[in-house]
Amino acid sequence: MRRRDFFGALAASAVFPAPSALRAQPLFRLALTPVFLDNDAAVIERLRDALSVGMGRDVDLVQRRTYQEITGALLDGSVDAAWVCGYPFLQHRGQLSLLGVPVWRGQPRYQSYLITSAGDGAASLEDLRGGMHAFSDPDSNSGFLVTASDLARMGETPDSFFARTLFTWGHRNVVRAVAGGLVRSGSVDGYVWQALAAVDPDLVARTRIVSRSEWLGFPPFAARTDRMDDPAVMTLQRALLGMDRMPAGRKALDLLFLDRIAEPDVRLFDGIAARMAELGQAG
Amino acid sequence: MRHGAISRIPITLRVALAMGVLMIVLGMVASQQVLRSLSRLHDDRLREIARLHVEGLSVALGPFVLHKDVWEVYDTLDRARAASEGQRMLFTVVADDRNRVLAATDPLRAPVDSDATPFSENASDLAALTASGNEPRVRVRASLSVAERTVGQIVTEIDVGDLVAERRRVSVYLLLANAAATALLAFAGYVLVARMLKPVTLLAQHMDDAGGAPSRIPEIEIPKSDTELARLLRTFNTMIGAIGARAEAEKRLAERERFVSLGRLSSSLAHEINNPLGGLLNTVDTIRTYANRPDVVQRSVELLERGLVHLKDVSRAILDENRLDRAGLPLRPTDFDDLKLLFEPEAAHKRQTLDWQVQADAANLASIPAAPVRQIVLNLLLNASAAAPEGGHVGLSVLPRDDGIELTISDDGRGLSAPDLDRLMSSAPVAPGGGVGLRLVHDLVVGLNGRIRHARGAGRTLLKVFLPKGEAA
Repeated sequence: MRRRDFFGALAASAVFPAPSALRAQPLFRLALTPVFLDNDAAVIERLRDALSVGMGRDVDLVQRRTYQEITGALLDGSVDAAWVCGYPFLQHRGQLSLLGVPVWRGQPRYQSYLITSAGDGAASLEDLRGGMHAFSDPDSNSGFLVTASDLARMGETPDSFFARTLFTWGHRNVVRAVAGGLVRSGSVDGYVWQALAAVDPDLVARTRIVSRSEWLGFPPFAARTDRMDDPAVMTLQRALLGMDRMPAGRKALDLLFLDRIAEPDVRLFDGIAARMAELGQAG
Repeated sequence: MRHGAISRIPITLRVALAMGVLMIVLGMVASQQVLRSLSRLHDDRLREIARLHVEGLSVALGPFVLHKDVWEVYDTLDRARAASEGQRMLFTVVADDRNRVLAATDPLRAPVDSDATPFSENASDLAALTASGNEPRVRVRASLSVAERTVGQIVTEIDVGDLVAERRRVSVYLLLANAAATALLAFAGYVLVARMLKPVTLLAQHMDDAGGAPSRIPEIEIPKSDTELARLLRTFNTMIGAIGARAEAEKRLAERERFVSLGRLSSSLAHEINNPLGGLLNTVDTIRTYANRPDVVQRSVELLERGLVHLKDVSRAILDENRLDRAGLPLRPTDFDDLKLLFEPEAAHKRQTLDWQVQADAANLASIPAAPVRQIVLNLLLNASAAAPEGGHVGLSVLPRDDGIELTISDDGRGLSAPDLDRLMSSAPVAPGGGVGLRLVHDLVVGLNGRIRHARGAGRTLLKVFLPKGEAA
């Protein structure tokens, strides 16, 4: 299916070289952080189709269990570019540059949600003291940094405030852990929670939002700064920014509930940088 | 009493009942075996299911349990639960080496870090897992090992409701099927046995046909095959023939016995007739000689008349004794006069003293038939006379009783022999011969619903015959 679609798209476009020439080029490797699509094969496939068509070459989408592994792969050159979270981007601000920022519901920002099970009466973070809490990933902004920095403001750490914390290595898993009753509360990407509400309403209905963070910069696409002039990286950036104007790209964006990929603006991530500062970390 | 009640049931029904009982026992044993096999099958299946489930999870969970990775344990359990939705696994809890809950498919029921003992304490090991109880769910427990080291345990609740229900259903089906099969076989057994035992039923019917007397089985009803039952029926028919012949012979013998007693009297009765005849002939000579002497003729004629009247009485008594049309006539005092007339010469012949007392009047006697009583008294008197010595004593008394009469015949002889007493007192078969018609006396008394008592004392033999009043009264 994928290859047929791919070659069908190629045939329709006169500007791309012949398939035999395409196959001769090395694979372009793009890494994905475990956002909500981490286990949705259809979404991954659409995205790969869209980028392959957009770049005019085969694209390999690489997935890893943790944000750290993705960041590491990006930094050591195992992958050419990555869809990362704003937090690790800022952590490695000196080595990484932005390629584009997704626009969700009209703006390139999202929120972090603090959630509990639907029947829980907690009204604020303070009410969740002493319970079990699920984080998504220690390198996730919405899935860790926001709540950790909120606790830092209260003079607490996750381990002192909660009875036990655990990492689920995925925002969807945070929702599962809260919905299933394994933990009392969780820190989750607001964009993922909303997207899940559309594709898995039964799961999301078993959770409730206790509080939302301020609007923060949406997880961006990034590449190593020293490779920003690489033609392949530049092709990727063009493909990303032009996705909403191509049928395959539009399909992928629709599945991702995104409007488009916008030109990057590093100031979008000032909010995350501020929270990092509160945790005593510099960007 | 119970045995009596059972033995009154026809043998065909009894055999069918016995067959039914055996079938029920057989059915129960067979059902038990089937249920046991089913139970074993279920247990094997259940153990296999549980083993696969637990082993699969153990392999996946081992490293996570070792690292106490709550999320990964939960994630694995949750995926396994989602994959087996609607299947047997209802609930699974995984605990660490201190038996604290790491995660469960339902964390609300088994919260993380809580004590897992309530779940593991009444769980059985894989090898001991059974669905034979009536509980719709069972718990199985298994250790989680990594590199030969026990790092925790897994407890799984398994739904066995369908197995329990299936066993219950099979039990009901077995019960119904066995009941039907038993009823059918018992009925078939009844029909078969009834058919096989038909000759026996036939025999039983003919044994006491028409109020107690056995009757001959018609040849057409005897099975054609030469089975032992057919032979039995033929033998029965032969026996019936023999019994009939014997009864006929006994009847003829009894008929003859009536004449025996008269035969015994013939000699003395001949004397009784002959003796007066001499006197009468002398009287005729006297009349011839003294024809001109009216007084002598007158006396001689009177003498002649008395002699002839006596002869007439004797002959009438003999005739009466032999008349067959006397049957049904009532007994009268004159019957005893006749008997005295017939018996006196015999006693006189042996110079025996005869003590004759008839105190019963016509009213006492009228309801009793005359013929059998005359025969009874004559036979007993003849026996008494035969038993008493020359010059001895023979007596008869007829006394009225409330509900009949009592005849007592006595003699001073040596008494009745044991065989003679048997003949007189019992209905048991006896060899022919012996005392004069004693068996006939017995049969006649029984026929009149009377009874005989025998007493022996002071050198005298007393035979007391009580005869009840008959319906003719």
